[in-house]
Amino acid sequence: MSANTLTVLVADDDVTNRLLLEAILHKEGYDVIHAEDGREAVEVFERQRPDLVLMDIRMPELDGYQATELIKAMSGDVFVPVIFLTANSDVDSMVKSVESGGDDFLAKPYNRIQLQTRINALMRIRELYSTVRQQRNELIQHQKRLERERQMAKRLFANIIHTGSLDQPNIKYLLSPMSLFSGDILLAAPKPSGGLHVILGDFTGHGLAAATGALPVSSIFYGMTAKGYSIAEIVAEINTRLKTILPVDMFLAACLIDIDTTTHTLTAWNGGLPPLVVYDARQLTVSQRIPSRHLPLGIIDGESFSRRVEVVTIQEGDRIYICSDGVLETQNQQGEMFGRERFNALFEARLVPQALFDTILGQLSEFQAGSLQQDDVTLLEICYDPSLLDQRAGTIEEEASGRGRISAAPAPWGLSLTLSAELLKDLDPLPLLIQALMDLQGFRGQRQQLYTVFSELYSNALEHGLLGLDSSLKANASGFVEYYRAREQRLAVLNEGEIRIDIRHQPEAEGGRLIITVEDTGAGFDFESALLPLTENLGHAGRGIQLLRSICDEVAFQGKGNRVQVVYRWQQSRGE
Amino acid sequence: MPVTSAVSADGKDITIKISGRFDFAVQNEFRDCYHGIGPDDGVSFVIDMSKASYMDSSALGMLLMMREHLGSNDANITISNCSDDISNILTVANFQSLFKIT
Repeated sequence: MSANTLTVLVADDDVTNRLLLEAILHKEGYDVIHAEDGREAVEVFERQRPDLVLMDIRMPELDGYQATELIKAMSGDVFVPVIFLTANSDVDSMVKSVESGGDDFLAKPYNRIQLQTRINALMRIRELYSTVRQQRNELIQHQKRLERERQMAKRLFANIIHTGSLDQPNIKYLLSPMSLFSGDILLAAPKPSGGLHVILGDFTGHGLAAATGALPVSSIFYGMTAKGYSIAEIVAEINTRLKTILPVDMFLAACLIDIDTTTHTLTAWNGGLPPLVVYDARQLTVSQRIPSRHLPLGIIDGESFSRRVEVVTIQEGDRIYICSDGVLETQNQQGEMFGRERFNALFEARLVPQALFDTILGQLSEFQAGSLQQDDVTLLEICYDPSLLDQRAGTIEEEASGRGRISAAPAPWGLSLTLSAELLKDLDPLPLLIQALMDLQGFRGQRQQLYTVFSELYSNALEHGLLGLDSSLKANASGFVEYYRAREQRLAVLNEGEIRIDIRHQPEAEGGRLIITVEDTGAGFDFESALLPLTENLGHAGRGIQLLRSICDEVAFQGKGNRVQVVYRWQQSRGE
Repeated sequence: MPVTSAVSADGKDITIKISGRFDFAVQNEFRDCYHGIGPDDGVSFVIDMSKASYMDSSALGMLLMMREHLGSNDANITISNCSDDISNILTVANFQSLFKIT
């Protein structure tokens, strides 16, 4: 049988009829096979799979209806037309034909033209049917493959953009993407010096394209946070990267925060997101709003980009809220938006802080009431609990530093560093310094402690020594903010002085002693009298030295108070 | 027409008027309004928002595309007659640092 010759099965118990049909069909160029009753028709069909069947109705063994039912069942989703051969086309037999699966009728006596027309029409349908079937199968395959790929990408994505540090009792969040992939990102990472960094971001658009941009953001955010960089430096780095990779019309509206458990401050950079809200747990009112002060990330180049952050004080129990604009733009069935007024009103209702988050979610879903979600919706609440935030930092840090670094055997070494005013203006040397120490000695599991020691010593030298800031300013909350504002201003115009850092390492059995000396060119202070009351003063100012004393074996002020030497003892951690 | 534009007699001022929702649906019409003009043509644009009811972040993206097409910092684009809602969206995104907003 050649590829384009159709095979027709003629099933008729009447020899004359059969021969007549065969003759016509042969003349039209079809291959013809035949059967003498219904049962034989089914058998021949099963064996030879003809393209079309001409079926007599009254036949022995199985009649035409029964044979047709069996043939139709056998052909599955391949369309094999069955034409019934009838002497008279009464309604009853027509109904039965259709019910059994017949596709057309041909009345006796047979007419060559009529037969040809019927066959052509049915073959066209068959052709169409087979095209549709093929396309449907391709579509199903394609869909399955796409779904598999999407699911795999989603798992991969979830591993990279893990929200691990968000799963603690003092943090609540809602992440409601409108498709499988979210254009919103929410990441949190503990700082090596204690406390937490968080970024909430909202990419232009939704879905896969938007989600792809989240990958570099997450690696910069986690990497730089673990190395001790500040959010100002992190936000500048993310901006530079996104400016390079994002198309012009795509950007990331984001808010980065730094929650510091040593100073009880919240530092924030907001570019393009609705205002960050701090809810005072005691007064039951909003104590701070930090609105967007910057362009979203990825729009302008490094030089004109502003990394200026705002610092506010927070108290234990205060709640911090950040959301994407999807929250404010949640629509009800009338197409009306939830909006700023409704959102702000939720904070004016003097609710107890424990109830706020669930109340916001409740109001949002009540407002939306079954209408379609238009945007990714993300809402975050952090309850400021210093003890919880610090604990987490320890465990995560252990995990992060456990990654394959060979810890070298303790060896003697030393390191000296002189930092000029010019350098200090634009550079926070701590992340680099700590990284260098970790690389030299592999102080496994010690990063957080080391960070605290160096950051206390360094900020003491910079803020009091070089910038001449008075720590008594920090006695109350408003003074705190003023202190940081003054720090920023004076640092910007600093043009003389330097800080010298000297580090000696002396190995001991399974560990060692780090002797760290930090000296500044400032005026120093009368440490002998000034240090006395500090033991009784647990206010903001004394905390730094208290902290050093709790971590280091020795803390000694020298010279005119512009030189501090501490001894930090460490033990190799084992068997993790 | 959600986006219409009018050119001044000397061809140096073009006013683009947005009606209804300013979002991705009108991106082609919007682009057509400035497409043929380059940074060196010295054309000033005014985007008239008086009839615009709403804008989303994709519209912010479209404004950035236009700004880049017209030479970024050299682009002369004024966004005028914004409703409170629209002006809030522009302010939150700090677009006043990139565009003149009146």
